[in-house]
Amino acid sequence: MVVMVLFAISAGPTGSSDLIFLLRTAPALPPRLLIRRPVSRRSSADRPRPASHRSSSAGSARSSGSCCSSSSAPPPPRRRRFLAGGSDAGRAVATRRVLDMGAGENNPLGAQNAWDMLSEEQSQKHITTGSGDLNGILGGGIHCKEVTEIGGVPGVGKTQLGIQLAINVQIPVEYGGLGGKAVYIDTEGSFMVERVYQIAEGCISDILEHFPHSHEKSSSGNKQLQPEHFLADIYYFRICSYAEQIAAINYLEKFLGEHKDVELCIYTSQVRIVIIDSVTFHFRQDFDDLALRTRVLSELSLKLMKIAKAYNLAVVLLNQVTTKFTEGSFQLTLALGDSWSHSCTNRVILYWNGTERYAYLDKSPSLPVASAPYAVTGKGVRDVSSNHKRVRVT
Amino acid sequence: MRPPAPKPPPPPASSSSSYSRREPRPENPLLLLPSCRAAKLSLGCPLLDRLLSGGLPAASVTEIAGESATGKTQLCLQLALLAPQSPLSASSLFLHSDLPFPLHRLRRLAPKSCPNILDHVLVAAAHSPAELLSLLARAQRLLSDPGRSPHRLPIRLILLDSIASLFRADFDASPADLRRRSALFFKISAKLKELAYRHQCVVVVTNQVVDVVERDAGNTVAWSSGRRVSPALGIAWANCVNTRLFLTRELDGDGAGGSARRRMRVAFAPHLPEQSCEFVIRRDGVFGIEPPQR
Repeated sequence: MVVMVLFAISAGPTGSSDLIFLLRTAPALPPRLLIRRPVSRRSSADRPRPASHRSSSAGSARSSGSCCSSSSAPPPPRRRRFLAGGSDAGRAVATRRVLDMGAGENNPLGAQNAWDMLSEEQSQKHITTGSGDLNGILGGGIHCKEVTEIGGVPGVGKTQLGIQLAINVQIPVEYGGLGGKAVYIDTEGSFMVERVYQIAEGCISDILEHFPHSHEKSSSGNKQLQPEHFLADIYYFRICSYAEQIAAINYLEKFLGEHKDVELCIYTSQVRIVIIDSVTFHFRQDFDDLALRTRVLSELSLKLMKIAKAYNLAVVLLNQVTTKFTEGSFQLTLALGDSWSHSCTNRVILYWNGTERYAYLDKSPSLPVASAPYAVTGKGVRDVSSNHKRVRVT
Repeated sequence: MRPPAPKPPPPPASSSSSYSRREPRPENPLLLLPSCRAAKLSLGCPLLDRLLSGGLPAASVTEIAGESATGKTQLCLQLALLAPQSPLSASSLFLHSDLPFPLHRLRRLAPKSCPNILDHVLVAAAHSPAELLSLLARAQRLLSDPGRSPHRLPIRLILLDSIASLFRADFDASPADLRRRSALFFKISAKLKELAYRHQCVVVVTNQVVDVVERDAGNTVAWSSGRRVSPALGIAWANCVNTRLFLTRELDGDGAGGSARRRMRVAFAPHLPEQSCEFVIRRDGVFGIEPPQR
């Protein structure tokens, strides 16, 4: 069986930094036979099909538990070799100029090819929502490098989900999380610190339940598993006008630059999620000029997308619901109009189904439209208890 | 010989003050935790306080919705009288849109022991959204400059009774008017929230109810007096409040003359689960009652 190994050698001072070669490891391949160019197109046939791979990882995500980001479920063996280095691979790939088939010798655009992007994406961990069903329809959780919009009626749990994500992003790497920090931009004043503390406690108790062995060393080694620690790792901005909101987002780029670790290898203390709760509130006041509003908003969303890509973080925008007058009747839609609906990569709508809360994945570039129930409990967002319903694909 | 030490960078302390004025500055939630827990306005009843996990939170807007005679105004008056004696130690600003101001009820509720407690209740009337906004602008000046009246406690409680009656007139059901109306909601709410945040105020807004005729459009619905009701002003206003308390009333048995069972329900709140508590209105105020033991 042919096994592909990925490794890098330094290309010297010629400007292009590290080069990555795909090799086929014949037993005892002498070093001088290192092939500078990818050998054959046949290797593409050896690759696992991206589509099937995604579905298999999404499938395993669905079945796995709720505590940890689950789309880092083990890839097939060949894949695992390819991604040697585990979670570091994504970052490593991102920081290298990639020279692979199809890309030119000097790769003048600095472009990545789709294959590398895919492998990078699949090596990424996702931020768990706390509910396995919800993670299931989202393909493992909230994705980094993407902008996700979450909307719903008041009281359905938008803010709860936002706070939950700000806590869950901090689950340490050794417990299957991202070990990142969170930026929470609060425009509505619903960020209640006592509730954040509760959710952090709930998250910690679930971690300890999931990793019972860590109980023994928890007294000494787990200083970071304290709710206080979780709270302190949220950068909280309270915004009182739309001008402040725009200023905060402009400032974000500078802020993230300052808080980025110099050593790329340590990404434990990086901001991995930016939550805006809600993006809407200050834009529904006195914008008589709707064209201006659209322009301001699309600039804002472009900026956020840029930040998401550049800093490898997830952007979550909470949105309100409004009634729209169409064809003689009022219907509920997400606020900010039609042009805004194009500005987010993913769109999730939270709604009530009787007395149960449901999430509906309305828009996603890669996942099917689906809905799943979730619950808001004292500990935070969780699966609906004793729920064994299958995810309904519509 | 050592080279001269590089010139030290300018001390960050001096630059950081101007820096913080220009740029948004993140806060550490951990440092906000003690004040978040302490700065709650008690309702003066342990059962209702338990429902609200200590009382009404500061720096956020709480709506009390309910049909007429469910105790909304009563609760507001009670809060206004409790605020000076509570740990918040605050004056209140009572903005009313329904005439007349219930002065007699306020006097009857005021404890005899401290006769000058009414000094700490400031009252102003607003009859239209525009009037309310200009009042709020004046309130902002009053709040930012508390030195004006040293004998008075700082204002930390704003009561608005009620938001719905401000919007009774002047607005049609046409889409253009509805848009104008909801823009005003957001404007008022943003102002209230800003005051609440900057001065750590408790803000309470009362709201009336409307009957629900068609399929509910995502708004809170409850049964009260045998009617299916929803807080007034629709889903746009629902987006404007942080916490919604719903007061409902059920008539016991045959209704006429029978005592009503009143309930305070947490419809939604960022920090509270959905739960409810029965209460009664007595001569001396609103009090929760224990659920009957089964």
